[in-house]
Amino acid sequence: MEFTREIYWNVGHGATTLVPMYLLVIVAIAVVVKMFLQRREVYRQGLPLNRTDNLGERISGMLVNVLLQKKVTRVKMPGLFHGLFFWGFFLLLIGTTLIVLQADFTDLLFGYKFLKGTFYKLFSIILDFAGLISLVMLGALFIRRYFFRPEGLETKKDDAIMHGLMTFILLTGFVIEGTRMAVTELGTPVASWSPVGHLLAQSIAWMGEDTLRTLHKLTWWFHLLMVMGFIALIPFTKFRHILTTSANYLFADRGPKGQLRSLDLEDESSETFGATQVKELTWKDIFDADACTLCKRCQDRCPAWATDKPLSPMKVVNQIGEAAFTNSEANLIDLIGKDVLWSCTTCRACQEICPASIEHVSKIVDLRRSMVLMEGEFPGDEVMTAMEATEVNGNPLGIGYASRGDWAAELGIKTLAEDPEIDILYFVGCYGSFDKRNIAIAKSFVKLCQAAGVKVGILGKEEKCCGEPMRKMGNEYLYQSLAMENVELINGYGVKKIVTTCPHCYNTLQKDYRDLALAAEVETYTVYLEQLISSGKLKIRSEGLDCTYHDSCYLGRHNDVYDAPRALITAAGGTIREMKKSRSEGFCCSAGGGRIMAEEKIGERINIRRVNMAVDTGAGVLVSNCPFCLTMFEDGVKGAGVEDKLKPKDIAELLAERL
Amino acid sequence: MKILVCIKQVPDMESKFKVAAEGTWYDNQDLAWRMNEYDEYAVEQAVRLKEQVGDADLTVLSIGSDKVKETMKKALAMGCDRGAHIADDAAWNKEPFQVAGIIAEYARDKGFDVIFTGMQSQDRGSGQVGVLVAEMLELPSVSTIVDFGYEAGTIIAKRELEGGIKAKVKVQAPAVVTCQLGLNTPRYPTLPNIMKAKKKELLSIPVAELLKVNARMETANMFFPEKKGGGLVLEGEAGELADRLISILKDKTTVLK
Amino acid sequence: MKILLIAEYRDGKLLTGYTEQLGFAEKMGAEIVMFLAGSDSALPNYGGKLYLADASSCGEFNPDAHKKMILEVVAKEQPDMVALAHSSYGWDLAPRLAYGMQAAQVSEVVDVQDKLLVVPACNSKLRRSIRCTTGQTVVTLQAGAFKPVELSAAPQVEKVSMTAEGRVIFEGYEAAAAGGVDLTKAEIIVSAGRGIGKPENVAMIAGLAKALGGEYGASRPVVDSAWVEHNRQVGTTGQTVAPKLYVACGISGAIQHLAGMKKSEFVVAINTDKDAPIGEVADVLVVADLMQFVPIFTEKVQAL
Repeated sequence: MEFTREIYWNVGHGATTLVPMYLLVIVAIAVVVKMFLQRREVYRQGLPLNRTDNLGERISGMLVNVLLQKKVTRVKMPGLFHGLFFWGFFLLLIGTTLIVLQADFTDLLFGYKFLKGTFYKLFSIILDFAGLISLVMLGALFIRRYFFRPEGLETKKDDAIMHGLMTFILLTGFVIEGTRMAVTELGTPVASWSPVGHLLAQSIAWMGEDTLRTLHKLTWWFHLLMVMGFIALIPFTKFRHILTTSANYLFADRGPKGQLRSLDLEDESSETFGATQVKELTWKDIFDADACTLCKRCQDRCPAWATDKPLSPMKVVNQIGEAAFTNSEANLIDLIGKDVLWSCTTCRACQEICPASIEHVSKIVDLRRSMVLMEGEFPGDEVMTAMEATEVNGNPLGIGYASRGDWAAELGIKTLAEDPEIDILYFVGCYGSFDKRNIAIAKSFVKLCQAAGVKVGILGKEEKCCGEPMRKMGNEYLYQSLAMENVELINGYGVKKIVTTCPHCYNTLQKDYRDLALAAEVETYTVYLEQLISSGKLKIRSEGLDCTYHDSCYLGRHNDVYDAPRALITAAGGTIREMKKSRSEGFCCSAGGGRIMAEEKIGERINIRRVNMAVDTGAGVLVSNCPFCLTMFEDGVKGAGVEDKLKPKDIAELLAERL
Repeated sequence: MKILVCIKQVPDMESKFKVAAEGTWYDNQDLAWRMNEYDEYAVEQAVRLKEQVGDADLTVLSIGSDKVKETMKKALAMGCDRGAHIADDAAWNKEPFQVAGIIAEYARDKGFDVIFTGMQSQDRGSGQVGVLVAEMLELPSVSTIVDFGYEAGTIIAKRELEGGIKAKVKVQAPAVVTCQLGLNTPRYPTLPNIMKAKKKELLSIPVAELLKVNARMETANMFFPEKKGGGLVLEGEAGELADRLISILKDKTTVLK
Repeated sequence: MKILLIAEYRDGKLLTGYTEQLGFAEKMGAEIVMFLAGSDSALPNYGGKLYLADASSCGEFNPDAHKKMILEVVAKEQPDMVALAHSSYGWDLAPRLAYGMQAAQVSEVVDVQDKLLVVPACNSKLRRSIRCTTGQTVVTLQAGAFKPVELSAAPQVEKVSMTAEGRVIFEGYEAAAAGGVDLTKAEIIVSAGRGIGKPENVAMIAGLAKALGGEYGASRPVVDSAWVEHNRQVGTTGQTVAPKLYVACGISGAIQHLAGMKKSEFVVAINTDKDAPIGEVADVLVVADLMQFVPIFTEKVQAL
């Protein structure tokens, strides 16, 4: 007995089947192509941006993400449901393609059949299970969406259409299989290679051959119609994501993570800066909206959203898309809302988790740029005061610039102006220089370096704010003027290596300053100290400590430095009790995105929320690695009334105590 | 309509001041410079007036070395049309009467309808220049305004008096007004305006052409104030500090019984 | 030496700043004459000669008219010095008089040292002593800088008549926003400065004021941020206060503020910055973090 089956059984393989069938295929594909060409015109309203460089790597990145569902499955349950559904449906697609390939090409032209024997057995059983798994996963997703809907999961007509259509396609597939098997395979060994179909065939065999044949034929055409309908509906519904999200993996930002586009401020022909309208964003910003599946993972992780602020990264992305498609002249700032845009801490939690490689943060910064550079607007007068203070004294705290190096007076370190022969330049940052609490961290770091025999130099009063908070607030002009002065100074001294204790300085020097030709290597103190310890240059006493550790957004998500700080804590004898949200899922302290300069006027305080998460671990010390975080936590423990339970500390302090 | 706004570049008051070697003024080293805060309100109000009347030409004037042009550029970026820089490397040593004399000489034949100045400078703090300019030009003046309105040649202003009380006054232009903190919210210059400001007229006039009056006073000595006698500094742990303060208050005042 | 003092009259009342002018004149060892555009129903307690113009005919605020009247008195009396309060009335009128007299004007005198007038500079961070090169001078005196002197005799009044002509038309007063609190009468004031960090901490300051049995006030920046209503502002642009105890919390001590509270009998400053200008006027400077110190201090005061 040959293990195979007759393709086009019962429907016939003549022109009466093939002509209408292929006509339908052509129509469906034509609709998809035409509609996407139309959509491409909408994307093209945006500014140009090259996202087809390194095409090979881009394509392999796309395949990995599509086929392995890498980003999707990062969120366990719904990710797995989607992944299994996708893999099942993808196998069915391959199966159908093989059938078409054999029946209408290899067999038709060369009389060659490959769907037979062992291969057919495997083919049959895999497709049978793929269909079952798809159906079950679809059911699970259906129950999640319609019976146990997670908060914030937007459910629209699209979702109903998608669920309905997919279910019918899968069910009719099984009906076709069952009716065919009831007539041709019952009682043969072939049947056991399609267990689901076999079961179905057994239960409908009573209908008799004529009825089964009619049912089969009708269902076959119905199934075909629905599949073609599904294809044609891709551009009109969220089915779109099959193509757009896949394409978004291809067009994804390849980093460095979180580096912002520099505006050309010398260009005398520019009349606008930043974005107010869709046409002032890039095509990718519009395309992102098409790639969004409204999975709301970004919203679930947004610290602003979590504390009752009006920002939902998902909504912002989609509002931009909606404007692009319906009213491209719309003022995006009014449409989205200023409070929404000012709420962002640029913590990157949205972008990091997004299964569609959407870039949320740069859009918000582009819109902020327009508010600041074109309107002179800020989230509050306190921010304007901080900007002006930075213009005058080079720090947002408004402290006289000349005292910037005073903290180091008794440490015996010199400024580069006094002695440029150094091992490392310590770029101190504003808080480390002026804020009493953070001066303790700066001193600790220097003492650690000195203990390791490293010669540290600082810029002293010549150092200026790195410009990060200003840039993230949208003040590109002030950022660039600060950055240019710093870069010129540092390059002028011929510095080879810079170490920072502030992740914001680190990210800015390491990535953003490259646009301005900063030559030196830049390292965060956590990685640097870890190297000093592991190479034996720095010796630390191990002394027990029960603590929890906060991943700052700019060391963590922006730079993937998760392990070095933990290794340092362990080396110091600390045991870390991880918080509910840690590593790439870490919860912001509230001070990123320039929010360190702003009053938090709306909703619950983010820092208090985070401090409470730390309290929940039961650890007595909250270790962090960022002056902004530390400032927020010092405030936060007071605000939450847990000063006696939780003590915020920086890693550098922890280590310096154990010298 | 012609408007003049006079501004001064002063050190940021957060700076660490040192008395210069000659002992009559502060040392310029290690100071950060900015627009006198009172003058920021004056510039903002002048720009608002210009925007209100539409057809107006707004000149910003400042006296000092080339360095003050940086501050003037901010005023131009905020919306002034042109700059008159009175070049004077020894401006720090001019007393208010001379400063007013220079401004009055500049403004004399130019037919300004409204002249704005800050109520005082943050460094010298004499609060005389605006009113003196008016006296020299025989114009009426209103000092310390916290509210400004203009309608058909009439200025309607509110002066800030002590205790939060305001005096409503009215005066016909041409006139001089001096601006108090809180008069408005000075704008943050937009980037297109910063770029435009770079191309605006900024003429330098040697101070010798305008200085026609002699100084009436001079600084004999500049020095740091002594701490008030008995000024006791308490440092230490909060609880202990509170106990010490309570015992001092019981001892030295009648309020804690 | 002869000094012409210009007393102040507002809204039908004689202002008491003239007593400090008397104190200044006494310190200068000068012969005194006084001018007042006011009313004979509210005369200063001072036994000397008083030139009195009727404010109801010349106007309480009429710089042109007041200038003209005073210059006539100056012509007649030939004083060496004209002294005014450094107030909205004084600093407005002084330059006009100085110009008319061709005299040097020294603003905001805080002291007299070696016969030289001393004035503040750079937000009171520095002082300058001034040497005038004119025969006559006009000075304005910082509120609270000189010890008030009350002379319990009636002045010998010489009336000055004047019309109300003037280019600046006074159209009336606008009262401060009402709120019911009168800091000028409080015996104990606890004031909040920017150092309190955020509006929520106003409650902590108010709590301490309550524990001490006083009122709470604020510096200008705090009022500007709308953390505290305007009628609680202490300083030259708010209330000038003279309590028995003044506690300045997180106030660095801008000159406008110092001038408004330096008449206080006893000043406690709580600040993290030892070098803040407030230290200059404080009898006790507590170097501490407000958020730590104030709650503990409040608790201990309550326990007394």
